[in-house]
Amino acid sequence: MIYPSEILRVHPTTVTGPRSIRAAGSLLVLMIAFGLLYGSAMGLFSGVRGQHVWQVIYSALKVPMLMAVTFVVALPSFFVLNTLMGVREDFGRVLRALLATQAGLTIILASFAPFTLLWYVSCANYQAAILFNAMMFGLASIAAQRLLRQYYRPLIRANPVHRPLMRIWLGIFAFVGIQMGYVLRPFIGDPAAATTFLRTDPWGNAYVVVVQLIFSIVRH
Amino acid sequence: MIAGFKQLDRILRGEATRLSSLTRGSIDVTAGGLFLVIFLLGALNGACMGCFALIRTWNGPNHHDGLMQMLASMGKVPALFLLTLVVTFPSLYVFNALVGSRLTILSLLRLIVAAMSVMLAVLASFGTIVAFFSFTTTSYPFMLLLNVVVFAISGVLGVVFLLQTLRRLASIIRAEDMGVMNVGAAGQPAGLDPRSDQAPAGAEEYAPHDSVRSTVQPPPIPGALDAMEGRILGSNVKAVFRIWMIVFATVGAQMSWVLRPFIGNPNQPFTLFRPRQSSFFEGVVHALTQLIGRW
Repeated sequence: MIYPSEILRVHPTTVTGPRSIRAAGSLLVLMIAFGLLYGSAMGLFSGVRGQHVWQVIYSALKVPMLMAVTFVVALPSFFVLNTLMGVREDFGRVLRALLATQAGLTIILASFAPFTLLWYVSCANYQAAILFNAMMFGLASIAAQRLLRQYYRPLIRANPVHRPLMRIWLGIFAFVGIQMGYVLRPFIGDPAAATTFLRTDPWGNAYVVVVQLIFSIVRH
Repeated sequence: MIAGFKQLDRILRGEATRLSSLTRGSIDVTAGGLFLVIFLLGALNGACMGCFALIRTWNGPNHHDGLMQMLASMGKVPALFLLTLVVTFPSLYVFNALVGSRLTILSLLRLIVAAMSVMLAVLASFGTIVAFFSFTTTSYPFMLLLNVVVFAISGVLGVVFLLQTLRRLASIIRAEDMGVMNVGAAGQPAGLDPRSDQAPAGAEEYAPHDSVRSTVQPPPIPGALDAMEGRILGSNVKAVFRIWMIVFATVGAQMSWVLRPFIGNPNQPFTLFRPRQSSFFEGVVHALTQLIGRW
């Protein structure tokens, strides 16, 4: 069993201890548990009356889903790149470092849940709620990135090729994660709209939206 | 088939291209087994690309088109690589002879097939990301550009692999000619030890990875893409390699244009090939402007 405090303090047993499968499993469990925690806080914007209680459940499920599916989608290419750079032997430790970072990210996020709830009770603006949550995700990502660097430090010391690989992972993960977050909307739930698991309009693309937004601003 | 994937694994890990494995002036793989792997990985990537057409037309009246597009892409991706091989192989052999390397045709074929298997392994490993964006994106130009980027990444990695291995082979053959070949346990020829001309011991810990390696840690085993140290090729050899890289990239890009559509515009009916017009680079610029919006 791995405790959350061990993950945050980059305890060596998190990534190098014995029984790697069980350790990876408990990291996964922690990631899901804390993801559920922040997700349910996130979905509380419209309260729990009537159908809005479903938004709490949906959001709780979606945050771990966002993390897990992004991880699975991004992993194969990272595995092949690690192999090509000659560090296949380290991949077990790399995987645990990545899982520990994922778990750390949701723990940090969950620790922000009280702020989010305070924001919700003090401001009823839906757009502001989206911005606040984006800020929380941004802050947690910055903190988790620091965690990843610490987990990677022994790996980089053993073989410096891990340093560019770590940056590549951050790039791939962010690229997939941003689109995943966009697809899994709504996380907060517009109080004026009906509660749905996913948006009913056709799926868009986060990058296309951003590029078009920028160019429409530039042109006017 | 399993033997083919085992060979691919040895190539990706860099085992097949260590100096100790290259002593006979050739990579220790069979081209036939790797062709099968290339075909399967290409079909896998083609399926991921074809997902876009399949999903965009699924609920429409012409969902038959999407399925056809997916099957066509599964065949087209391996064809793209094999045809690019056919077009560029003669010039590679000629350039190779021009720079004074004495690789035989067979060992060069093995080398380029190995490089292609590296490309397709990277390509197929990006398949999950391509498939994910296919599922979630309605923008055709975005998918086009994403696939261009993915192909470019895998192409660059494959070409780097090819050039590094070519250098290793060239140096091996040269060393064998000079009779100094004495492969040690670490796979480094004794006469060409990179440590012989490095900085004093105190400076090593802060030195970058490329120039010297720390004496505290055992030196990491070189990967398939690591440059061999201490071997400086002549500038004309490097120039020829660089020119060939550009030729390879251009031919591959134009071949993909000839074989298009790979992704399948959901607003157009399915065709196996489109009429001859324009070029790959115009197509990319067109997709970019479409993505940005009309100017």
